[in-house]
Amino acid sequence: MARTELLIRPLVQLSGITKSFYGVRANQSVDFSLAGGEIHALLGENGAGKSTLMNVLTGLYQPDSGCIAIEGHARRIDSPAAAIEAGIGMVHQHFKLVSAFTVAENIHLGWNETPFRAPAALLEARTAALSRRFGLAVRPSARVGEISAGEQQRVEILRVLARGARILILDEPTAVLTPPEVAILFAALRAFRAQGNAVILISHKLGEVLEIADRVTVMRAGRSIETCAAQGASRASLARLIMGDTSLPPMQESGRAVADDAAVRIELRGVTVRDHRGIALLDNVDLQVRAGEVLGVAGVAGNGQRALSEILTGNLRPDSGTVLLDGQAVAHPTPRRFARHGIGHIPEDRLRTALAADLSLAENAVLREYDRSPVARGPLFVPGRARALAVRIIDDAQLDRRDPSLPARNLSGGNQQRLVAQREARIADRVLVAAYPTRGLDIGAVASLHAAMHRLCARGIGVVLISEEIEELLDHADRIAVLFAGRIAGILPASDAESERLGLLMSGQALVPDAPDRDPGRAA
Amino acid sequence: MRTYTVQRVPSVSGRVRTGATLLSCLASVLAAGLLLALLGLHPAALGLQVLHQSLANRYGLEDLALLAAPLAMCGLSVSLMLRVGLWNIGADGQFFVGAAGAAWIGLYGPSWSTLPMLALMGAASMTAGAAWIAVPALARLILGTSEIITTLLLNFVARLGIDWLVTGPWRDRASSVTAQSPRLPVAIPKLPRDWHLGGMHWGLAVVLALACVLALAFRFTRWGYELRICGANRNAASYAGMAVNRRLLEAMLLAGAVAGLGGMLELAGTVHRLQSGLSNGYGYVGIIVAVLAASSPLGVVVTGVLMALVLNAGTVLQTQGVPSSAAVALVGLILLSAAVGERLANYRLQRIPPAPRPGQAA
Ligand SMILES: Nc1ncnc2c1ncn2[C@@H]1O[C@H](COP(=O)(O)OP(=O)(O)OP(=O)(O)O)[C@@H](O)[C@H]1O
Ligand SMILES: [Mg+2]
Repeated sequence: MARTELLIRPLVQLSGITKSFYGVRANQSVDFSLAGGEIHALLGENGAGKSTLMNVLTGLYQPDSGCIAIEGHARRIDSPAAAIEAGIGMVHQHFKLVSAFTVAENIHLGWNETPFRAPAALLEARTAALSRRFGLAVRPSARVGEISAGEQQRVEILRVLARGARILILDEPTAVLTPPEVAILFAALRAFRAQGNAVILISHKLGEVLEIADRVTVMRAGRSIETCAAQGASRASLARLIMGDTSLPPMQESGRAVADDAAVRIELRGVTVRDHRGIALLDNVDLQVRAGEVLGVAGVAGNGQRALSEILTGNLRPDSGTVLLDGQAVAHPTPRRFARHGIGHIPEDRLRTALAADLSLAENAVLREYDRSPVARGPLFVPGRARALAVRIIDDAQLDRRDPSLPARNLSGGNQQRLVAQREARIADRVLVAAYPTRGLDIGAVASLHAAMHRLCARGIGVVLISEEIEELLDHADRIAVLFAGRIAGILPASDAESERLGLLMSGQALVPDAPDRDPGRAA
Repeated sequence: MRTYTVQRVPSVSGRVRTGATLLSCLASVLAAGLLLALLGLHPAALGLQVLHQSLANRYGLEDLALLAAPLAMCGLSVSLMLRVGLWNIGADGQFFVGAAGAAWIGLYGPSWSTLPMLALMGAASMTAGAAWIAVPALARLILGTSEIITTLLLNFVARLGIDWLVTGPWRDRASSVTAQSPRLPVAIPKLPRDWHLGGMHWGLAVVLALACVLALAFRFTRWGYELRICGANRNAASYAGMAVNRRLLEAMLLAGAVAGLGGMLELAGTVHRLQSGLSNGYGYVGIIVAVLAASSPLGVVVTGVLMALVLNAGTVLQTQGVPSSAAVALVGLILLSAAVGERLANYRLQRIPPAPRPGQAA
């Protein structure tokens, strides 16, 4: 193995890359090499410096020192355009597509090979050809705003490949994908690899990494600490490498039967919500969240999860039906009313809804408690106390950056998620509604989040865990409700739920016969 | 060999930003000096003359303060709306309408003694200014109409309305000037003589007090925090349970009221008659004042004085045969370079590490 590696010239060689931001070493003499024909996973805790390293490789940042060689030749990459010229393309975790444009238009946007006169038919034909060539199924004439996350991601990848990329970088690509979409993505990556190209994959999901990667590089605190073959590695061995000496908190028991007489914290009775086109997002939903339980909500994303979490937190008013808080019907639900009542909310899209990225950590940390003591004093806002509270929250959330005056934008993706989760858990005196709360978290943070959830339950707080991962729900939920096309397809105690039955319910096949055969809005 | 590259950094500290603004102001003054030198004038001498005339004697200081007060009021108005991420291009119109409201009370209202009269005029001007922006505000909140366009267009309506008032119903028939109202019976008292501000009136104190109150409110009240969040991310604000539309409406109405009050101070303190020359584009310069101050109320006081100095320089230059529009050009130049400076503050010059010797990378 060692000998062949010496003979094959690496496609990409990063040596001694150092990059600091205002005194924080995000990367510290990192060496990394990528060979042609491999899928190389880049692992590490939140804030380990993975995204930063890839941003250096794609020309978004310049390293303070160190150098980049492509196929053995030193190369200066000072802009994303230069990276594409060198055959390197990156798909960022937050897609950068224009949602009002069609797939074909997005692919041709800002591309020097786009024909000068570009009628829609021509662009679509070119896109269809590209789609066939790279084995990535997309519909050229569809508007990006209307296609699923998986298809959007294929458009992003196609955009990069069309520009001749031989090195594809994917930053947490599977975080927003459904399991079938992951399978499609992995098939495409394998085909890409078979042509002698290479992939760098950043992920926190070790199972997937073992399934697809050839080699693994682990980063810790800005340094690359080990590169090894994926064969022969196990989840446990990778987890040890990533976390060092720290150990995972023990896993809690789940699937406990919650007593039937446990108080009902939130109840939905016949709740229907329609979007502006009149299509039902939630259709006659009955649901109870009881004190001290973890209620899992399973379902393929796009089947009403967003509307459900917004209804449960007062962000949305039902078009018909009632929402009851502790048995009291709420006439005019507002987020403030629900927050005051002790309902925390981890929304699915942290940067869009839960954070003001340009403001400081302090201002973001107190977003839920600015109007109560000690931060507020009557109508006054006491900055000193806000800062003190923020420091507490930052400590409890175990962020890697402690300075409360830092803009939230500068946190790594996983650290932003930790901040939101900690802030919401604090105000959740009755219910915590968590939509995909582990998105972007590293394994340690996922374990502490689950532990925190169970601690809330032990205090008699109800937790609603919306997730696409059946395994997570089976491990942590007490009851599992399955959402399909805006309806509750079934509610099972976690102790009798098995993956197959859940899978059938999630795909709508075990639905009661009178269910309308509506398209839930996801691409097949 | 060393090579350098320019690199964008995602966020900059407030201190760097302030420095960038100061540097760009300096750069534009230097550029203006260069132009003057090309015209065969002596920029250094002219600059000294401007400073001397504006700062070294009581009449200069008085002029400066008289000009800075309305600029700062308009700047405060614009910065109130900038806090929530909205643009008030209509401070000029609100300024005029506020002055008209005050003039109406002064000319046709009760005949009380000075202080209650001034208070009533102030209230009338604030109501008028707020009412003037209410239409764009509601259009923005209910229909989503861009407030930039609507507030701007209402400026022309306001100016024409004033023209009509002072040439028609409110015209001063006793005087031969055809376009002004009679002299108001009340005026804002002057500051004590020994404060060395010449004939400046107490309106200056109102401006300073308002700036302080706003600065405190922005920083030390829940309301100020809510405005900040609404300005940074409205989705997050409504997620956190804030009444976003209400906060936006309050900021807009308050902005109108502040600009209107500025009109009243100008009318009752300086001009004493309603006329269409009451505002010399103060509302527009106010935008620059607010932007340069990064919408900080205390900063607005400083940049208001700076802009007054620049406009004063125009007057001095006129005596040297430079057209008065030169000052307006300089104001534009300052705004332009401040905008460029703010962008450039995001970039750093960075040394690229030396290329490796061939073979080292393999
Ligand atoms: N623009 C920036 N300004 C200041 N600090 C930054 C900036 N970008 C990253 N950092 C810091 O650099 C470190 C590494 O961040 P990076 O985004 O590379 O982490 P990551 O490994 O991608 O983590 P995650 O798994 O959470 O996405 C973090 O401590 C982060 O706070
Ligand atoms: Mg990252």
